[in-house]
Amino acid sequence: MKVFLYGLLAMMILAVPCRVLAAAEDSEQSLTMQAQAGDDLFDDLYADDEDELTADPLEMVNRGVFWFNDKLYVYLLKPVAKGLRIIPQPVRSGVANIFDNLKSPLRAINSLLQLKFSQAATETGRLVVNSTLGLAGYYDPAKTYWDLNKKDEDFGQTLGYYGIGKGFYLVLPIFGASTLRDGVSMIPDGYADPLFWTVRSEVLWGLRGTNIVNRVSLDKDTYESIVKEQLDPYLFIRDAYLQKRQAKIDD
Amino acid sequence: MRVLLYSLVLLFCVSWTVNAQESVNGPKAQVQQTVDAILEQLRADSVENVDRRETISELIHAKFDFLIMAQGALGRNWKAASTEDRAHFVALFSSLLEETYLGRIQAYTDEKVSYGAEKIRKNRAVVDTFIHTASVDIPISYKLLPHDRDWLVYDVVIEEVSLIRNYRSSYATILRKKGMTGLLEEMQQKLEHLRKRNDSESEDAA
Repeated sequence: MKVFLYGLLAMMILAVPCRVLAAAEDSEQSLTMQAQAGDDLFDDLYADDEDELTADPLEMVNRGVFWFNDKLYVYLLKPVAKGLRIIPQPVRSGVANIFDNLKSPLRAINSLLQLKFSQAATETGRLVVNSTLGLAGYYDPAKTYWDLNKKDEDFGQTLGYYGIGKGFYLVLPIFGASTLRDGVSMIPDGYADPLFWTVRSEVLWGLRGTNIVNRVSLDKDTYESIVKEQLDPYLFIRDAYLQKRQAKIDD
Repeated sequence: MRVLLYSLVLLFCVSWTVNAQESVNGPKAQVQQTVDAILEQLRADSVENVDRRETISELIHAKFDFLIMAQGALGRNWKAASTEDRAHFVALFSSLLEETYLGRIQAYTDEKVSYGAEKIRKNRAVVDTFIHTASVDIPISYKLLPHDRDWLVYDVVIEEVSLIRNYRSSYATILRKKGMTGLLEEMQQKLEHLRKRNDSESEDAA
């Protein structure tokens, strides 16, 4: 209930800059967008926007890259990740936490850019506490003892917050589901990574690879079950990605 | 007389607020009962696999409104479909969704589940739940509609992704390419495939 109230409050505050921005555009549309963001839990049973969600002019190319990523996952990433499972799971979670801690600056900067000041403070607090008491981020005392929770923010979301559309759907080699907006935003995202400024590029990519494989080792075969259960995994993942990104921009 | 009236009004207010709070038959309680019961079945070693699947299936069918979900999954294509196609679709979709939901929840059998707040507005409810895995907390929300004295699930939102919206988007694309007959055929094949897999997996487990 509290979260909901805060959400409403935040939305009322946010509605002001939103409106200024939208003035140039179709103002009617921005009003319905606000209404949707506020009431999506309760209004239309299933908000009816299927056509709007699925602009995919590069579908043929995307499906090709999707196929490539599938092979990469099945024949390389997954076997290596399975091998990694000889390392006890708490250790692998700790390593995932270390990499996640390194994304705190990215989250803090983008919270700030979106005028989410208290979240920016939270992320900064998390970075300080977890880098020291949390042993370089291996543990998460900021969450455990101070209830400081992270919230995923990146440049793609910041652009979305200021009304820049997603462009169209893109499947990137290795990185997978994305959009034009989110794909381009990966470049500034990269600059917000402390590792970018501190280690050589071979080491940087090695570490990023380690992070990906480690995360796959912690996952419970999500991708495999989607492939088994869905009529067309490509469509399922496309829609899931777009829904998730929209939810993250709207929050 | 006045005192009586006041006390009646007061009583009315009190009972109303009691109802408005989380009651035994409220959406949260109902979701919790069902999810706990399913997890209990999955965790129990002594139960025969065939019985287990049947019990779980009954639990799901008692609390999921498959007709509304099937309609949601077809969206605007529901209106265009013939009566037979609709019936066929509802049957196939219910079974597919059941297998999918089971597959997902099965993966997290050993994790701790906690229940967040229930939100009720007008005649809709949302119940937040969280699966606490070693590395992350996965939010799963259940959306419900009132039905007689019960609340029935009409959508499951996993990590901010609505399952029904996801199905609708996928199915709309398949419908455009292959038509209703093509969609139903693919669903039929997928279902047979899934059942075979789930059966062999429960044999492996036994």
